[in-house]
Amino acid sequence: MRYQDAVALIKRYDINFVEGSVVRTVDEALKVAKYPVVLKIISDEILHKSDQGCVKLDVKDADSLRKAYSEIMSNAGNAKVDGVLVQSMAKPGLEMIVGGRRDEQFGPVILFGLGGIFVEVFKDFSLRVCPIDRDDALEMITEIKAYPLFKGVRGGKPADIEAIADVLQKVSKLLYENEQINEMDINPVIVYGKGYCAVDARVLP
Amino acid sequence: MNVDVLFNPNSVAIIGASRDPGKIGHVLVRNSIEGGFRGRVYPINPKCSEILDLKCYPSVKDVEGEIDLAVIAIPAKFVPDALKECGEKGVKGAIVISGGFSEVGNVELENELREVCRKYDIACLGPNCMGVINPLTRVDSVFIPTYKMGRPKLGTVSFISQSGAIGGAVLDLMARQGFGMSKFVSYGNGAVLDETDMLRYVADDDKTRIIVLYIEGVRRGREFFETLKEVTKKKPVVVLKGGKTAGGAAATKSHTGSLAGNAAVYEAVFKQCNATEARNLDQIFDFSKLFESQPFCSGERVGIITNGGGLAVIATDSVEENGLKLAELSEESKRRISENVPAYVNIKNPLDLSGDAGADRFGVAVHSMLEDPDIDAILVGVLFQTENIDSRIVSILVEASNLKKKPILVVCPGGEYTEVHSRMLENCGVPTYTSSAHAINALRKLVDYSKFVNKR
Repeated sequence: MRYQDAVALIKRYDINFVEGSVVRTVDEALKVAKYPVVLKIISDEILHKSDQGCVKLDVKDADSLRKAYSEIMSNAGNAKVDGVLVQSMAKPGLEMIVGGRRDEQFGPVILFGLGGIFVEVFKDFSLRVCPIDRDDALEMITEIKAYPLFKGVRGGKPADIEAIADVLQKVSKLLYENEQINEMDINPVIVYGKGYCAVDARVLP
Repeated sequence: MNVDVLFNPNSVAIIGASRDPGKIGHVLVRNSIEGGFRGRVYPINPKCSEILDLKCYPSVKDVEGEIDLAVIAIPAKFVPDALKECGEKGVKGAIVISGGFSEVGNVELENELREVCRKYDIACLGPNCMGVINPLTRVDSVFIPTYKMGRPKLGTVSFISQSGAIGGAVLDLMARQGFGMSKFVSYGNGAVLDETDMLRYVADDDKTRIIVLYIEGVRRGREFFETLKEVTKKKPVVVLKGGKTAGGAAATKSHTGSLAGNAAVYEAVFKQCNATEARNLDQIFDFSKLFESQPFCSGERVGIITNGGGLAVIATDSVEENGLKLAELSEESKRRISENVPAYVNIKNPLDLSGDAGADRFGVAVHSMLEDPDIDAILVGVLFQTENIDSRIVSILVEASNLKKKPILVVCPGGEYTEVHSRMLENCGVPTYTSSAHAINALRKLVDYSKFVNKR
């Protein structure tokens, strides 16, 4: 599914997604940018965008944007590019992944874990069959080993657990109601002391 | 469909009955006689006139009386026709022992079997299965002679097994360990009745208190999920999923896809349904014997009594590793125990009664802890190797356990002398373990399930 369509679908379920537009030229990018911004390539052929240098964070002004734009286009090489995403820079917070998959026996399942590389390296995630209720969502959050991070350690502020539970229930509803979805990642979702913001998503039909 | 007829038939026809002692069709007839089946038995075989002194009929249609259940052990290709005859005769249930269907790629023949059963409304188990045992009515379609595989005594655990081989091994172990069983069913390919149907049946069966489930996969995932979720509200379900390592490696493009493989999804299903997942065969026994014999307990404070300091130390480690708590003895318990034990016994939890302790000292300690409001469950570590421990401790522990006030688990590592006593305890409903790690892990599962039951 195209990135724009994935985001539109996610937004339909009242999930906060960071503001952004997909553009096709550097001039368009300059027009929509409200600095600082993030530039990301949109291409089905590039699975790990950051690994390939196709993501530029914290672009602060027009000059850096021009430079960043041409760099990511050249790093994309011969891959088929659908556009470039110009996204507001999300505030830093705790990164998590919320994902889903359609199991051939049990139907849609929802996954929650600490975002970024941690979920892969430590296999620290929780899983449930959809749909889930608030209790299920809270269990999913407290079940992972990284849960103390969400409660706040060493003076760190506690994360908005209710907001996470809310996102999980919304994604569960989305997965349950959209049978065409086979796999899905919203990664990362950044959670704050209050509220959260989804930053990137991939939906595979 | 009348599933109950599989477990409570008044008459059984054995299609493929044989005079040859090496044939399954012979073992089935023999087992129904030796097992003391309460109803009528009709061997079916056009080539014999009698088997083991029972009159043999050419076809079910030649039997004058009604037939409730047919056990079928003939080559696969003849099975659909035999079922058709059963349908015409009005047979309500069938157990197809014969293999040679979808498990070897013969899907069409299995579809044919299914259609015949649907047409005549036959409740059918199998094909490729061992069928049922009900120790109450003495129905027994397991084609293994009794000298090779023991039959469990009558009790409250029902065991549903996809696999016949695992089923047989577990039954044999259950019989050996003095487990009481309500129903056994091996459903094989599950062409007509599958795990979800059988789960529903034992859930509604008022003689079943604990359900043990062995599956390698499920046929109707969503229905299985919804059913399991409902069943655990009524009874604990201990489940072992075989084949968890394979199949999870399917090619996927997302993080979620690669993490949430088949095994992870099954784990999620069990957790979400509040079923108790066993990771291996040993845990099936560890968990279900505790669930079966001891009261539910949602408290986490464990009292430990032993006659060996080392055992107390290891047991304490197990308690902490499993997220349970070491209880504090109440003043009343301290007083009561100290009045009845020598001065050199240190009155604290874990309570090491010292190497010269006999049954009396254990009795005082166990009863004090049973009365103690600050203790939820009791682990008794008995070293039968010590000089003052003998058979007398068995009656002390059985008596305490029979009060059903708090879970009592006995840990007794040892050889033959220990094993004799451990079996005595087990037969009297006291769960025993060879290590505190296994015992406390089982207690953790009991506490988790009890909390779920309490919350509702």
